[in-house]
Amino acid sequence: MATGDSSVFLLMLAGQIEGAEFPEFDEIFCKYSFVYGQDWVITSGLEEGITQIARRGAAAERGGFTWNFPLDVTWKSTNPHGWPQLVLSAYGRDALGRDVARGYGVCHVPPAPGRHRRRVAMFVPESTSKLQKLTSWLLGRRPEYVDPCVVAHGEGREVTRVRSQGHVAVAFDIVAKDLKKLGYDTSAQGLALPSETVTVAAST
Amino acid sequence: MAELHILGQIVGASGFPDHSLFCKWGIHAGGAWKVLAGLREGQTQVDNPQNEDFAVWAHPVDVHFATKGLQGWPKFHFQVWHQDTFGRNELYGYGFCHVPTSPGIHELECATWRPVGSLREQISQYFLGGGLQLRNPDLVYSGVDRYKLHTQAMGKVQLHLGLVFRNFDKYGMEC
Repeated sequence: MATGDSSVFLLMLAGQIEGAEFPEFDEIFCKYSFVYGQDWVITSGLEEGITQIARRGAAAERGGFTWNFPLDVTWKSTNPHGWPQLVLSAYGRDALGRDVARGYGVCHVPPAPGRHRRRVAMFVPESTSKLQKLTSWLLGRRPEYVDPCVVAHGEGREVTRVRSQGHVAVAFDIVAKDLKKLGYDTSAQGLALPSETVTVAAST
Repeated sequence: MAELHILGQIVGASGFPDHSLFCKWGIHAGGAWKVLAGLREGQTQVDNPQNEDFAVWAHPVDVHFATKGLQGWPKFHFQVWHQDTFGRNELYGYGFCHVPTSPGIHELECATWRPVGSLREQISQYFLGGGLQLRNPDLVYSGVDRYKLHTQAMGKVQLHLGLVFRNFDKYGMEC
């Protein structure tokens, strides 16, 4: 299949949110969304989703949740800048049945073909003032991000205080198309091979 | 021009004497290197871990460099700070590490150090807090003028980087 534009490359991600470790909680579900730059467009697959509500296995060691939740997305882009990031936000129910944020986490979609596994550390924002701490304790509402995608950006992070707890395990299988043709190298082995732009440049 | 994409994350840090850590980071590169897009410095969140001796920063890095020459290969430099319960910040460590010179995925660990003062300064630091700082932070990533400096080992900063190179082979650069 030929793409019309010669400066476009494709990135295919097949993977899964395998599960999580949250030693303190009994029920957890997870929202995921991808954050990517302006040059990137999803050509197939879902940009965001929500897993089932998982309960800890009876026999499993303390802390293990299984989601086994599929990720299948393909992007096209002209520029690796703004490479997609997977933003995870885990929620659980409190004693009154309300959804409470249990952790936010982020990782880049690995910029290299092949299989990769990531153990994403999760963290929740903390109240910054004693008054907010008191009101959140009285009302039973913990601070959370209005937009979880802030964790995928580098600006404005210095104002947040967080407490880290738990991990989410994610597996990625990555296939890229035409990256090498556009002169991009994502592995040391690839650099040893001449890229197609070299041969084109030599022949013209 | 050859291009370099640094994609990844400042994952966090471990091995420091206390929790509630944050990090000021930057990327230093030689004169031949230009940043086309992305942030080349920043400050992470303050993390106070619940269970582990590992501060999570999860600070994304996505920088697009273009270069005309190899001199001055980019390097990360870090300042790790500790924030106490009163909101006061104290320096916990300096460190630098080079961006790897091969494409692909790399996990890096950057060991850090902090300056140690005279006995009197150490005693006042013990009771009053507040770490000694370098007057000239460029010292972190330069080798000159380091002699006579007394330092102490601190924790390690962990980085997870994916490097994408472009047109290095076209210009005959071997990485």
